[in-house]
Amino acid sequence: MSNPSITGEATEGAIAILPGVHARDNAARRTGRARRTPVWATVVLVVAAVYFLLPLYATAVFGFSTGKHFTLQPLFDGLADEGFHSSLYLSVLYSVVTTVLALAVVAPTAYLVELRFPRLRATVEFLTILPFVIPPIIMAVGLSVVYGINSPVNLIASDWAPVLLIGGYFVLTLPFTFRAIDNALRAVDVRMLSEAAASLGASPTRTFLRVIVPSISLGLVSAALLAFTTAMGEFTLASLLGYATFPVYLLNINGYQPREGEALVLVSFFITWAGVIALAAIARRTPGTQIVRGGPM
Amino acid sequence: MSRLQLDNVFKQFGDQVAVRDFSLSVEDGELVSFLGPSGCGKTTTLRMTAGFESPDSGSVVVDGIDVTDLPPNRRGMGMVFQGYALFPNMTAAENVDFGLAVRKRPAAERRARVAELLELFGLAHVAGSYPHQMSGGQQQRVALARAVAIQPGVLLLDEPLSAVDAKVREELRTEIRRMQVQLHITTILVTHDQSEALSISDRVVVMNRGAIEEVGTPTQIYAEPRSAFTAGFIGAMNEIPVRVISSSGGVVERGGKRVTAPVAAELADGELGLLLVRPESLEPLGPSSASLNGDLTLTGRVEVQTFLGATTRLLLREVPAAGDRSAPPSTRLLAVDVPSASAGQWPAGSEMAVRIPVKASRVIAGQSAAARPPTPAKLDA
Repeated sequence: MSNPSITGEATEGAIAILPGVHARDNAARRTGRARRTPVWATVVLVVAAVYFLLPLYATAVFGFSTGKHFTLQPLFDGLADEGFHSSLYLSVLYSVVTTVLALAVVAPTAYLVELRFPRLRATVEFLTILPFVIPPIIMAVGLSVVYGINSPVNLIASDWAPVLLIGGYFVLTLPFTFRAIDNALRAVDVRMLSEAAASLGASPTRTFLRVIVPSISLGLVSAALLAFTTAMGEFTLASLLGYATFPVYLLNINGYQPREGEALVLVSFFITWAGVIALAAIARRTPGTQIVRGGPM
Repeated sequence: MSRLQLDNVFKQFGDQVAVRDFSLSVEDGELVSFLGPSGCGKTTTLRMTAGFESPDSGSVVVDGIDVTDLPPNRRGMGMVFQGYALFPNMTAAENVDFGLAVRKRPAAERRARVAELLELFGLAHVAGSYPHQMSGGQQQRVALARAVAIQPGVLLLDEPLSAVDAKVREELRTEIRRMQVQLHITTILVTHDQSEALSISDRVVVMNRGAIEEVGTPTQIYAEPRSAFTAGFIGAMNEIPVRVISSSGGVVERGGKRVTAPVAAELADGELGLLLVRPESLEPLGPSSASLNGDLTLTGRVEVQTFLGATTRLLLREVPAAGDRSAPPSTRLLAVDVPSASAGQWPAGSEMAVRIPVKASRVIAGQSAAARPPTPAKLDA
């Protein structure tokens, strides 16, 4: 390790002796990449930024004004609304339950498919992408027929009603959660790790919880993220099955208090954003995952 | 009572027989290697011993107890895998501790044992490192320490050194042997590397096409191979065709000359056999060499010289003796090892006569190598 530092000092020394020349060289090297960036890339970047940021800006302008000047009043009104609290609580609750359920079901399933039933992979993959093929509206109709008030299994009017929506959310998140977890499983040698744990006396459950889960933590984090945001933003199922979740509430309030509605849209946007950043931060701090590779040795 | 016993183990994948009639008994504290080309069934046999595959028939017995139907986590065997299989989310110390934690040993005992093992394998300084921060050799040491930590009844090593570079490999195999003797662990080593098997084993099981070709000490396997396969697979071996005159009396003929040599029992009188002789056993004959003491001689033209360090290997094309009808000339190039200092006497293209020390050789049945399908080992050579 001593050699590089000696070279480093020598280079710095040389820079000190001939500051002008070397500084200019270094500056050129540093900015070389930026200089080579083609014009079209900048154009694409600007167009994309406008495309994504302009609606946010418009929302903010509309939501934080009285029509004439800037005010945070619609935000305070919105935040104080009883419907806001109950619907956000409901959405967060259902989304958290959906996320936990998705991880608890999909991770062991994907693990077993990878380890014991590799031949079932194609079938399982096909099943998990069904929500892409079948639109949520079909699912809503199907669910209300099978579990609706005219059905012998009447869930909608019972205390078990939330199960119906969470079950629907779970199915909707499958394409994302299965893929994220399955990719993570395939990136580690699941079979060898499992055999190593078994040879050391670990039961299959212990192997899964202590060895496999930590090894695929990044995949689990992305799966959780995708499941949570999917459930938080889901509108069709909730609306058709008659649940007052946050997206349903937002649509309603937009009808009669549009400024409050837009202010709350921004709030929900930042909540989601904070969630993504928090999960990414957790992933970054998990030892042994790919993300720390290349860190200090 | 032997520590580990495999009885008539048989395993088939589809219609492909992977292991047939494998019977072996391993004594306490012994290191036995399974050696053979890839696809010979050695890894499958090891995996059946560990419990990762179940045999179609036959049994695995440890200390007199039949474990054939026990899952791997209840067999108490330590295993080291080809690709290390370290847990990526755990440090070196945590990896070593894993098996002890599973066994719910007291914390103080675990700490002491982990520290002791890390010390034994020279890993104390990387105790807190994650696998991806360690070199291949360090990772393999952690894998060994982890497997040994649980004080396994039998230690199984599946090609443990194939992923590390040559220098580390040699170092590690000595270390494995030292550790194995010191801790007195019954060990099975699967390898396709003959030098690895010969250098550290008490016994070597040579496998070919799912079956045991032969079992013996490294010296037996090297010096007195009983089959053409073993002879060809282990080290370099010259196969010189000879005519069997008397199988029972051990008389063979070549070049019109009859000599006595150990002849395999299955050879009938009048048949062609193969005289096996190592390159280092062939003696170059000077022009003045006189007494040949009932040994055979052979003359060839040097085609290639290969410098091997202390010795140089000369590859000879045999020049058939005129009028010899007793045995055909050797179809393969003959390898002769000579001290490098004197190799200059026989430049490529020159003629060289060698003495074949018949008594130190063996005559076995078998097609000549040219007629036999090449084994992967052959291609390496």
